[in-house]
Amino acid sequence: MSDRMLTMAEAVREAMGIAMEEREEVFILGEDIGIYGGAFGVTGDLYHRFGSERVLDTPISELGIVGAAVGAALSGMRPIVEIQFSDFTAQAMDQIANQAAKIHFMLGGALHVPLVLRTPQGSGTGAAAQHSQNLEPWFANVPGLKVVVPSNPADAKGLLLSAIDDPNPVIFLEHKLLYKIPGRDPVPEGAIRIPLGVSKVVRTGKDLTIVATGIMVNKSFEVAEKLAAEGISIELIDPRTISPLDTAPIFESVEKTGRLMVVQEGPSHAGYINEVIAQVSGSASFGNLIAPIKRLAGMNIPIPYAPQLEKVAVPQIADIEAAAREIVKNWR
Amino acid sequence: MSMTMETGELILYHVKPGDRVKSGQVLFEVMTDKIDMEVESPADGVIEQLVGEIGVAIEIGKPVLIMQTDTEVMSFDFGGDEPLPEAPAPVVETVAVQPAVIEAPVVAAPAPVALPPMTNPQEIRAVPKARAIAEDRGIDLRTVAPTGPDHTITVEDVGGNRLSDDQIKRQVANKALIAKGLEMTRSIPQISFSRNVKSGSVDLTSVISNWARVLRTRPDLNISPKDGSAVSHVGVAVIIESKYGSALPVFKDPDLQTLSELADLFASTAKSAHNGKVPLAMLSGATTAIFDLTRYQMNSSVPVLFPNQVTSLTIGENFSGEKIISLTIDLRYLDFYDGAQLLDSLISAL
Repeated sequence: MSDRMLTMAEAVREAMGIAMEEREEVFILGEDIGIYGGAFGVTGDLYHRFGSERVLDTPISELGIVGAAVGAALSGMRPIVEIQFSDFTAQAMDQIANQAAKIHFMLGGALHVPLVLRTPQGSGTGAAAQHSQNLEPWFANVPGLKVVVPSNPADAKGLLLSAIDDPNPVIFLEHKLLYKIPGRDPVPEGAIRIPLGVSKVVRTGKDLTIVATGIMVNKSFEVAEKLAAEGISIELIDPRTISPLDTAPIFESVEKTGRLMVVQEGPSHAGYINEVIAQVSGSASFGNLIAPIKRLAGMNIPIPYAPQLEKVAVPQIADIEAAAREIVKNWR
Repeated sequence: MSMTMETGELILYHVKPGDRVKSGQVLFEVMTDKIDMEVESPADGVIEQLVGEIGVAIEIGKPVLIMQTDTEVMSFDFGGDEPLPEAPAPVVETVAVQPAVIEAPVVAAPAPVALPPMTNPQEIRAVPKARAIAEDRGIDLRTVAPTGPDHTITVEDVGGNRLSDDQIKRQVANKALIAKGLEMTRSIPQISFSRNVKSGSVDLTSVISNWARVLRTRPDLNISPKDGSAVSHVGVAVIIESKYGSALPVFKDPDLQTLSELADLFASTAKSAHNGKVPLAMLSGATTAIFDLTRYQMNSSVPVLFPNQVTSLTIGENFSGEKIISLTIDLRYLDFYDGAQLLDSLISAL
C-alpha cells in the first residue's frame, strides 16, 4: 500500500488526470482553469498536460458554461465543469436543475447527461456572504442529481472517478478549507474508485453517533479523539454522498449507541441533515434512542464578512465538543 | 388451568423427538377438568424425548417431554469428562417442559412516588428506549421519577443500564466455565510467536478462512476433544462478546465457504450472541481459537490455549495501522520450528 499523502486539490487533480487519460470524451471547462490553474489551484498543470482543447478556459458566464457542458454530455462527451465558487451556480441553475437533471426522464430515457459539476463551497476564508455558502440542499432537493460531499483526499479521488463514470449528472462539492490540507489517510495510486451512495464509518464508538460530511468530518474526528480520553466513545459516519443517502450504517450505529448528533456547516433550516434525522426517526432504530437527536448547524444568516462573526456563524470544534459531551452526560 | 388443578390428561403431542421448535410453538395439548389447552415451548430448541403417555393423567410438575434449548449460557464445549466447576450453568440447558399451574397474576406494588394520579402514560416524557424497556419489564412510567432534562424519563430511570440478576448469574457461571477450561491447559508446554503484517487483507473473516486452510494441511493438529485422535474437520472458535460474557462460537470448515458467506455467518452469529443465543451446533468441535483484538485498539496479547486445542491466534493492531498476528502452540504436537512455519504460512496466505 502506498503512503502518499496528498491534499484534496492534488487528489482531485489526479482523478481528473486519470479520467482524461482513460477516456478521450472527458474534458474540463470553467473560468481560469487553464494557464492560471484554477482559482484554488485544483486544475494546476492539467492544461499543460492535456492542452487547451481539453482544459477549456471559458468566458465569465456560468449559465453558458453549464449549458455548453449539458450539450456536450448529450452528444457523447463527459464534461467536468468547474464553477469557481458554488455560490455562482445560482447563475447556472436552469441548466443544472431544469435541463441536466431532467432531460433523461423527459425524453423517456433516450438520452442521458454524464456531467460532473465540481465546485468549492464553505466558509472560513473571509470571502463573505456571496462566496461562502454550503449549498448541498439546493441540489439534493432536485431529483435526477447526485450530490457528493467528500471529506478527505482519498475519498475525493475515488468518488470523483466514480462520478465521472456515472451516466447521470453529479454535483461534487469540495470544501475550500480542505484543498490545502493533507488527509489522515494516504491516497492510493492508480484508478481506484469509490462507489457513490456508500456511507463510511470513519471511527467506531459506542456512546454517540455523529453524522457529518465535508470539513465537519475532520472537526468531529478531532472531537472524537479528544473525548475518547474522557471515556466518551464516538462513532463517526461520513455519508460521503447526500443523494443518494446510504442510511443503513447510520441506523445500525444508532441502534448501538442510542444517541445521534448531526453536524453540518450550512444553515440548519431545511439542511440535508434534517433528512438524516427524518430517516432515523422513521426507522426501527428510533426505538433505540436514549436521547433526543441533536442538530448542530450553521446559523440561519448569510455568512458575515467579519472574521469573528464568520467563525461564530458555523459550528466549530469547541461547539461540537461541548454538544457531544452534553448529550452523553445528560442522557444515560 | 385452575389453581386447584392437580392432574391433566395428555391428549396429543404436536412434536416428535428431533424436531426443532421455536419459542411459543405448541408442543402438546392437555385436557383439564375445564378446558383443553395447548402448551407452548418456553424457548427455541430441539425435542429430545417424549416421556408422557397419551390418554394418561399426568401430575402437575411431572415432565411431559425433554428438550434441549438453544443455550443461553454462552460458552463452549470443552469436550473432556472433567466435571464443571461448582454450580456453573450447564453449556446446554435441558429443560423439562410441563404444564405449569397458572396463578393469578401478581401485581408488583408500585414504588410510592407522588405523581398526579390522572397522568396519562402518553403525556409522560420519556426517551423511546425507556418506553420500550418500561413496556418490556411491566414498569408503569407514571411511577418513575424523571431525571433527564425537561423532566424526561431516561433509560437509567427505568433501570435500563442495570444487569438483571439472571444476567449477572449467567455471566459469573460463564467466567467460571472459561477459567476452568484454561486451568486445564495451564501446564501444557507452549510457546508463542508474533509477526507484524504490513499489507494484504487481514480482516477477521479472511484470517478465519486462511487459518482454517493452513490447518487443513496439518490434519494431525485438528484433534478430537474426546480422545485426542485426528478429526476430519477444522473448527475455528472465535472469541466474541455476548450478553452473558465471552462466547466462543465455532465456525466449522470456514475455508470451504466463500468469504462473503463466512462474513454473513459471522455477522449473524455475533448478532445472536449479542442477544444471548448461539446455535447449539456452533458450541462444539473447536480445534483452534481466534481472538480479534483490533476491535479494542489493542496491539497484541499472548494467545491462550483452550482445552484440546493445539493452536490459538490473536490479531492486534499497532498505532501505525499494522496488524500483528500472534500464535501459541502446544509443544507436544508441534516443534518450535513447525510453529514458526505455521504462522509464516498464514501470513503468506493473507
